[in-house]
Amino acid sequence: MKSIIRKCFYMATFILSAVSIHPASIDLSIAASLKEVVTELSNDFANMKPAVSFKRNTGAPGALATQIENGAPCDIFFSANADWADYLMKKKLADAGSISVLAFNELVFVGKSGLKVNGLNDVVTLKKIAIGSPKSVPAGEYAMEAFTKADLVGRLKYKLVMAKDVRECLMYAERGEVDGAFVYRTDAAIASRNVKILFIVPQRLYRRITYTMTLTGSGAGKKEAADFYRFMHSAHAKKVLVKYGFAVK
Amino acid sequence: MIPMSGFGPSDYSAMALSVKVALTATLLSLPFGFAVAYLMTFNKFRGKIVLDGIVNLPLTLPPVVIGYLLLLLLGRNGWIGRTLLQPLGIEVIFTWKAAVIATAVVGFPLMVRSIRIGMETIDRGLIQASRTLGAGRLDTVTTVILPLSLRGIIAGSVLMFARGLGEFGATIIVAGNIPGVTQTIPLAIYEYASSPGGDVMAMALCGISITLSGIVLIFHEWIGRRMDRAG
Repeated sequence: MKSIIRKCFYMATFILSAVSIHPASIDLSIAASLKEVVTELSNDFANMKPAVSFKRNTGAPGALATQIENGAPCDIFFSANADWADYLMKKKLADAGSISVLAFNELVFVGKSGLKVNGLNDVVTLKKIAIGSPKSVPAGEYAMEAFTKADLVGRLKYKLVMAKDVRECLMYAERGEVDGAFVYRTDAAIASRNVKILFIVPQRLYRRITYTMTLTGSGAGKKEAADFYRFMHSAHAKKVLVKYGFAVK
Repeated sequence: MIPMSGFGPSDYSAMALSVKVALTATLLSLPFGFAVAYLMTFNKFRGKIVLDGIVNLPLTLPPVVIGYLLLLLLGRNGWIGRTLLQPLGIEVIFTWKAAVIATAVVGFPLMVRSIRIGMETIDRGLIQASRTLGAGRLDTVTTVILPLSLRGIIAGSVLMFARGLGEFGATIIVAGNIPGVTQTIPLAIYEYASSPGGDVMAMALCGISITLSGIVLIFHEWIGRRMDRAG
């Protein structure tokens, strides 16, 4: 009997002590296109520091910025452009000095392999094309920028299906519900076999796709978040980014 | 990038489209809604519970589920999509037709319920009288049941129209979000609400949405009172 009570006591202390060690949790807001690479890198970091855990929130960077503006917990904000980080900075929600360049990407057009589409001018002959909603998805903004430069906006009107993030864009193309979609080269790399890259959008038509990483107000005050932020600039992180197809310089 | 105030052309087309989709879905559902309500009220048959369940299921199912099932059914690789729609050259997914179908499925049980309630209040003696006086089944339906359940039909239509104005979950999956083609008010609000600085426009469209719903409700009340007086 005594031993049972003792066992219960040990068990209780064990459970209580396990609860009382608060592992530091880092909240990440991640651009949809970075989902896999940031997941892998944050897991690597958590393996090195078991006391750290991550909460990962992925989506369109514009939507993520809106969430942060409305009080969503976030320590580090990953965006496929600098605009939304600047936006947060203007609202005094991000740490002014912390915006840094993480990686680069390219815009491509994916569709069924049989499709005779070799450049932007062929895209206007298609019926439905998916892009990210330019209001919140950088991939869609870059695409609109290219359409504007190529003077195709008018001819693409009523053909553009606005996806909520770049991955939904890719999914529309994979399912065949649209003829093709504008996504990043790294998204195309993980696409299913029924779609492939039909052409790469010429770089002269849009600003270079620049991923930024920013500490928010809460992240700047959290040591673990700052550590992870530095880790993301390490040689190891660069290697993993390259593995996923991102350019790092 | 986003205007501080004032609606752009895509906002106006979202308003028009919302009304167009909800109205078309309601009018298309009307004959079916009447037929199903008639079957359920005046007939006993095998599988009645099953039919009742199928008709009412969209009421409790998440609209996203309905949208997804419709996509699997009507999509390019879908069951009906591949065997029927594609050979006929009909495109449904990501067109306003898809929005109509989604809205019709989601709102259908509301219409059937209202019509049934209307039909159940009809004095059975009147129906029997018309039959014994020599009216055929169809005759009884058009001259007795239809006029006496008119109130339920109108209430059901108004309810379904109102529900259609707000359809989002099923619509965004099957009709996508194409400004000027399939972007209804709820979809436009969703887009504004997830873009930084879109608050003003989101609120403005919320205002339109509230106004539209208010008008529909007032119309519903008004027609109810008018019919009370007439009856």
